[in-house]
Amino acid sequence: MKFKSTRIVLLMMGLTLGIPGKVIAADEKIAVFTKNQTNPFFQAFRLGADSAAKQMGASTTHYIPTKPDSIPEQLSSIDDVVVKKPNGIVLIPVDYKAISPGVKKINEANITVVNATDRSEGGNFANFVGAHDYNTAFAAGTALVKALNGKGNVIIVEGVRGVLGNTDRVRGFKNAIEKSPDIKLLASQPANYQRLQALQVMENLMQTYPKIDGVLAANDAMATGIAEALEGANRKALIVGINGSKEAVEAIRAGKMLASGDAAPFLQGCFATMSVIRAVRKMPVPKEIIFPAIVVEKATLANYDLPPEKQSCPTWESIVR
Amino acid sequence: MPIFPNLKNSDELSALFYRLFVVIFICIGLSFLSEAFLTVNNLLNVLRQASLLFLMASGLTLVILTAGIDLSVGANVGMSACLAGTVLLATGSTTLGFLTGICCGALIGLANGLLVTLLRLPSFIATYGMLWILHGITYYFMAGATINGFSKSFRMIGSGYWFGIPVPIYMMLFFLISGSIFLRYTIFGQQIYALGANPVTARLSGVPVTRRLLLVYILSGITAGLASLVFLARLNSAEGDIGEALTLPAIAAVLIGGTSLFGGVGTMLGTLIGALILTLVLNGMNILSIDGNLQALVTGVIIIVSVLLDLILRRKSVV
Amino acid sequence: MSNIHILSKNLGYRNYFQRIPGVAMMLMVGIFFFGILSKDFLSVSNLTNIGLQSSILLLISLPMTLVIMTEGIDMSIGALLTFCGVVMAYTLSVTHSLPIAICLAMCSGLLVGLINGSIIVYWKLPPFVVTLGTLGICQSLALVVTDGQSITDVGEIVQLAYNGKVGGVAIPLIFSVIAYFITYFLLYQTRFGIYVCAIGGNRESLNLAGVSTNFYHLAVYAFSGLMAGVASILLTARMSAGHPTAAIGMEFDAIAAVVVGGTSFEKGNGWLLGTLLGVLTVGVLRNGLNLLGVPSSVQVASIGLLVLVALLIDSMKMKS
Repeated sequence: MKFKSTRIVLLMMGLTLGIPGKVIAADEKIAVFTKNQTNPFFQAFRLGADSAAKQMGASTTHYIPTKPDSIPEQLSSIDDVVVKKPNGIVLIPVDYKAISPGVKKINEANITVVNATDRSEGGNFANFVGAHDYNTAFAAGTALVKALNGKGNVIIVEGVRGVLGNTDRVRGFKNAIEKSPDIKLLASQPANYQRLQALQVMENLMQTYPKIDGVLAANDAMATGIAEALEGANRKALIVGINGSKEAVEAIRAGKMLASGDAAPFLQGCFATMSVIRAVRKMPVPKEIIFPAIVVEKATLANYDLPPEKQSCPTWESIVR
Repeated sequence: MPIFPNLKNSDELSALFYRLFVVIFICIGLSFLSEAFLTVNNLLNVLRQASLLFLMASGLTLVILTAGIDLSVGANVGMSACLAGTVLLATGSTTLGFLTGICCGALIGLANGLLVTLLRLPSFIATYGMLWILHGITYYFMAGATINGFSKSFRMIGSGYWFGIPVPIYMMLFFLISGSIFLRYTIFGQQIYALGANPVTARLSGVPVTRRLLLVYILSGITAGLASLVFLARLNSAEGDIGEALTLPAIAAVLIGGTSLFGGVGTMLGTLIGALILTLVLNGMNILSIDGNLQALVTGVIIIVSVLLDLILRRKSVV
Repeated sequence: MSNIHILSKNLGYRNYFQRIPGVAMMLMVGIFFFGILSKDFLSVSNLTNIGLQSSILLLISLPMTLVIMTEGIDMSIGALLTFCGVVMAYTLSVTHSLPIAICLAMCSGLLVGLINGSIIVYWKLPPFVVTLGTLGICQSLALVVTDGQSITDVGEIVQLAYNGKVGGVAIPLIFSVIAYFITYFLLYQTRFGIYVCAIGGNRESLNLAGVSTNFYHLAVYAFSGLMAGVASILLTARMSAGHPTAAIGMEFDAIAAVVVGGTSFEKGNGWLLGTLLGVLTVGVLRNGLNLLGVPSSVQVASIGLLVLVALLIDSMKMKS
């Protein structure tokens, strides 16, 4: 009897004190689904998720398809995870439409789930945390247009055809430059998010187009490959990437890249995980948390001094009102 | 009984000639379609891109000549590049980085060779298993990070120029010439052809099968290691998935070049021509701004047409 | 006729004694270990999951067994499966008729299979290269039809193909069983099957005997394409959508399952049951590793190890 009441008193103390970031560890098991192993975006997301879980006394397990961006594999992993019944799930769907059967399964198993990064077309979620690829690309594209003073020749180097994020990014780029009639889109060619391929595609394109003023690359790896190609040919152009990765930050600092669209993957990971843990603990959670598209450029470099490995999540209250 | 019955010099030469014809045909076509194609800069670019592909494919040619295959070359390049890059940054020594890259490639080649010879596993599956293992190890250690920032002297082998011609092209020529001499004029080369054409006969004729197969896989690993260094230098960075997209093009280059998967037939020059064809196609698609959705189709059709054309022309010459 | 019967019987018995270890051992070891290490592994729902998850791979691995037995290979089957799925989803979104969609998907698969077979058999080009070419063609076709996006307007009924049950048995399992027995029948009980073995091992004698090997050789690739079409029904049902990159790369999984199961590239030996066991073993491994929460990079390496160990066991068995 006495033992039981002590527990209740402690529990009530914890709830009333509500120390931000320090809650009684209930060791919830959170399953985190990301799209692939190699994209630094998801790497940062996973680090954010781990940091948030640690702060809140829960634990995370990561599920990443062995074949990058494989929809059937992600669906299989969901099947397997539902059997294990974790306390909560953070889900970045490989494809926001094809994931619906998977979400349905999660809902039927009554597991709390939060949707992150790409908004799923169907299913019930505790909330959505993300920034949209389209917005990020649009912001990055607008930065380039501004730097070019609305005039010049531009090419787009795309990622993998058929992958949703790429379609949205390219759309964002195109819409950003459509606004300026003096910006001419010379070509839009894919390089599969690969550094080497982007380098070679750029080399090829430089042959056809003697004057290229700006390049919009769908990710930072490609952007750095393009920078190498330009340097090798002794040509200059303003390059914009997406991801805000450590490499891009250094390139911007060194003047090799103009800017990179940052969708705040670390923060997304933090808040998606915090949301799901809070939802599991029956604490209030907003319907969505959307991070505005940030563009990393010379002016905003100071915010990026710490790589994701060294960062820790900000408190819930600092972002959510 | 002739030991090495498959080297008919005039046949091989005419086959090569017809394959070269395909390359010339593509070049003529592209220069009509776009005025940007036939410039010195573009041609040098194409040659440089082809040399990267050829470096990987040259060792692979040896393996396929023995009726084997090495699916792990891409993963080999990835792992060797990451390892060499780490060493380069940690020690700042170009020599150590070089040695690391080549040794890593060689060791992986040795492992493949042992799987095929000692354990007698079919090369397709043995190297396929190796591919997954290498990828797993590389991903684990790289943890999604990128290594970059190498010294200018190291980067010469990838992005440098000697007398106005990119360095990788010299490497390509070196490997072409030495590879061809190796295959055609040394006893090792002759034995490799014999092994592929008829392993039983080869063994009865005294070819040390195990040692030759090991040699072939180690050489394939070494060229992959070397290719990884050139990639490292060219890109000035390394990440876990560098090699993933490289294996199938390398195999395609060897096969388009006329080397048979059943072994015993093929040349180094053929592989180079295969690499050129693939690179020209990509170059053409970029220059002509062919829609991204269609690029896989164009590549696929060209692959089939090249092999078909080659076969038709070769049959005509035999008749 | 009697000679051929004796021949096939001998091949059968020898195959069984030599092949039963290898992949079957790995499967049993896998089930044993995961059953101990994870409390959820042996549950009915999980085992059913493994069966369901493996069904699509099984449907394309069965014809791949025949293709490999003829000393060929079909690198395009993953892209073809994806393309048929796209065709099915597109047709559903336009006509809302399941029978028409199924018909078109299967016809597309059959057509590409026939194209593969024709080029390989009549123009005598190497299968690896030809199917590598058709891989690119199918991939592009899928991208063009979908313009890079998923097609999700497929209606509710098609999902039943993956989630539905008939007589208490999940439909994909029914598909798998039927497909297995059809392939089994074709391979072991018909002349077609015997010719398939012979095309791989000893084509000349078949030709001398007056058999039109070309027809049967072509049929093998056509069968492969047709099964890709059938498998696409399950794929579309599973995702409730058609997606242009859904099954890319699956050909390697199929080839691995077939070879791990005991079919070899040369000599035309083949063991269909081995393919089934190979598919299940891969399924068990992936599922088990997921249940244990093993990091993805380690999962990737384990799949490679599985393949090597299974083959090693076989090769050691053959030595003794």
